[in-house]
Amino acid sequence: MANLIPERSKVSPFFLFFLIPGMQVGVGVFGFPRYLADEAGFDSWLAVIITGISTSVIIWLVFIILKRGGGDIIEIHRNTFGKWIGGFISFLMFLYLFSFSLVILRTYTEVIQIWIFPDLSTWSITLAYCILAYYAVIKGFRVVTGLSIFAVIISFLAFSSLIGPLEYIEVRNLLPLLDHSISEYLTSAKTMVLGFLGVKMLFIYYPFIKKPDKAVKWAIGGNVFTLVVYLFVVLAAFVFYSPGQLQKTVWPLFTMWQIIELPFIERFEYLAIPAWGAVILSGVCLALWVSSRGFRLLFSFNQKQTLIVLLLIVFSLSVIFQTREAIDRMNTVTAEIGFYFTYIYIPILWLIQSIRKKGSS
Amino acid sequence: MKPDNFNHSPVTLTSLLETLKASRDFHLQAFTIAGKPFNLFYYSSLTDQTVFKKELLPCLRKAENSSLKEITEAIPFIEALIVKDVKKVEEKLLTGFLGLNLQGGTDECLLIPVKEQKHRDVTVPEVEFSVIGPKEGFIEDIDTNIYLIRKRLPVKNLINSEIEVGSLSKTRVAVLYLDGIADEENVNTIKQRVEDIEFDHIDDSSYINQLIEDNSKSPFPQLLDTERPDRTAASLTEGKVAVLVDGSPTAIIGPTTFLEFFSAFDDYFSNWIISSILRVIRVFSVAFSIFATAIYVAVLTYHTPLIPRDLLDTLVQSRDAIPFPPIIEAVFLELTIELLREAGARLPSKVGQTIGIVGGIVIGTAAVEAGLTSNVLLIIVALSALASFTTPIYRIGNTIRLLRFPFLFAAQLWGLVGIFIGIGFLLVHLLGLTSLGRPYLEPLYPLRLQDMKDSVIRLPFSRQSQRPVHMRPDNPKRFNKQQARKTRDIDD
Repeated sequence: MANLIPERSKVSPFFLFFLIPGMQVGVGVFGFPRYLADEAGFDSWLAVIITGISTSVIIWLVFIILKRGGGDIIEIHRNTFGKWIGGFISFLMFLYLFSFSLVILRTYTEVIQIWIFPDLSTWSITLAYCILAYYAVIKGFRVVTGLSIFAVIISFLAFSSLIGPLEYIEVRNLLPLLDHSISEYLTSAKTMVLGFLGVKMLFIYYPFIKKPDKAVKWAIGGNVFTLVVYLFVVLAAFVFYSPGQLQKTVWPLFTMWQIIELPFIERFEYLAIPAWGAVILSGVCLALWVSSRGFRLLFSFNQKQTLIVLLLIVFSLSVIFQTREAIDRMNTVTAEIGFYFTYIYIPILWLIQSIRKKGSS
Repeated sequence: MKPDNFNHSPVTLTSLLETLKASRDFHLQAFTIAGKPFNLFYYSSLTDQTVFKKELLPCLRKAENSSLKEITEAIPFIEALIVKDVKKVEEKLLTGFLGLNLQGGTDECLLIPVKEQKHRDVTVPEVEFSVIGPKEGFIEDIDTNIYLIRKRLPVKNLINSEIEVGSLSKTRVAVLYLDGIADEENVNTIKQRVEDIEFDHIDDSSYINQLIEDNSKSPFPQLLDTERPDRTAASLTEGKVAVLVDGSPTAIIGPTTFLEFFSAFDDYFSNWIISSILRVIRVFSVAFSIFATAIYVAVLTYHTPLIPRDLLDTLVQSRDAIPFPPIIEAVFLELTIELLREAGARLPSKVGQTIGIVGGIVIGTAAVEAGLTSNVLLIIVALSALASFTTPIYRIGNTIRLLRFPFLFAAQLWGLVGIFIGIGFLLVHLLGLTSLGRPYLEPLYPLRLQDMKDSVIRLPFSRQSQRPVHMRPDNPKRFNKQQARKTRDIDD
């Protein structure tokens, strides 16, 4: 089935540079400096590098797995684990990828409710975004890819704006360097996982890339871009806040935006948070496109109808999750599952595949 | 006339002439050539009476032989032809031919072209006026238009393939392209789409434009329309395909991109630095035109902390006595401006100008003095109306003015969040659009750096040695860069 993709729906490998950050830089970036600091203090920027590099290794593994298996993840699962178990794992994977759209959208609507419109009902804004996502996803992969480009550009501009608060920084916050134990760094690196997820979407993108052999460097390049951006944000937050302040700030990024003043704009976050909508739109659309495509391949569903069902699920669950704790929990659980799926499962899959290959030859 | 009779055509010449005689301007008269009685028939409204009387009649009188073939040789009309098919005779008579047939003989006719050629002179293009550069504009006559293009491109590669469209209007549609430069796929797409048109009456190229564009549900024009022969010729050299329609003073050019609608042909007449800056100004003015009022509504309705206190003071003071919320105020003013524009377009040009100025100034001042709108908003609305007219292609200006209203309502609904959701819809829509199957947002998406040389900016001609990749030209090289002037070192 994967072989029937028409040439006009495919994109050149260069766009992986945008597709990878387009999924990774979602909503996690608003709050992550605080979670990081909980574990390894102001040393935890190292954790960003650890997670970033390990994710690059995972991307490399994903490409190896796909190349060996002929580019079709459902087929790979079927060959490795048998028809039923393999199919079940594929199902879980698509379900998990689908959950991103919910996590991203719900967290973002929460941000809007807290920072801009306290009285806004969840359902109305979620409905607007669901319609928008439907409109984008039915236009196919090329349009969704185009959105990720704009997402990367906007997030880049938004992060560059953090140069603004630099006049208030205290570089000595970062010292002393390297005074935490390795286990602390690793736990801290694990909290960082949420920001680097979405690598598994490569399994579905892969047949849509024109020359998949040449795509690894762009995918890893995109991942490194995310790494650099996160490193910049986390360092900016650490030198801007004192440890005590950071503990009390839920979304360090927004509070830093509040500092920025332009001749005609006083509260920058009023502009930046709505503009961030473009970034989350890319994430939501990618997650929805990937999961609807996955279910279509797995069950031979109609993708449009699948998409409508998925959007209905996103919509109803968004309305159900109302409290801060519930949303926070949803984020944590997704990160946890993502950690096992990405950093444990993919290497295992790679190992099994390697052993089998040796066995057969 | 009953519908089933409509397509029925007479089988014999006599019955055809009987049918045609129902019209007052159809003339059927007996005429003697070399002693034999002939029927002479034509539409007086379609034929040129001067040519007929001065050139054709004397020759016919002088003719010595009465066979049609010999008459043909005796008259000074190369395109004259002898036809037996009655259907063909009917067709030709209706395009300005004169028929000659031996009384009591067969249906065989001699058809002589004495077409009336009435059209206005080539004049200055009115919509795409340019201060410097050529001042020719297309006119309603397709042959003149083709001449205007051929004069600029005297090469054999300029191919003109004509297609007849419209079951009633039988309009001549010419698809022009440069063979060996234009991509065959583009040419075939456009030809195929023109051939597939099912419509009875084609009045203007905009009919064809709407019938062949990729997505007719989009407010964005997906094919460029121009009334400048120079622009058409330049587009042909880039590998684009042009469509001319008889009876229409505008040509259609495709494939095109969104950014091309912001490039005036003047840009190529002035220095590249100046024209690049002008293009950037145009893009900004369009963005301003779409978003300015929406942002005003969003800020004053929801996000008052967004703007600095001093600016807010000015805004609040100007709105002090106004009894409406910002959205009512904005919609009221926007509609007034649209009304002025529409009235200005419909009124005769001399009256229109006066009404425009009087209406604009008087209504604007009075509305502010009466306390119905704030003067700040008046400035914004007037500026954004003005800004929408900076687009060199008329049709996209309309699209932009129309886009303002959804953004206004989105701003009222959710403030800036609403505006950005609107931008999301716009972006998705534009990303999905194509022009003849080529992406509309190129070179932004798909990102093609080499095509940036002539997009928002225009680099000097020395940098334009390659044709746009977007057209997939068969021959990508415009000129040889090595043979062009070399850069000199100091003191050479």
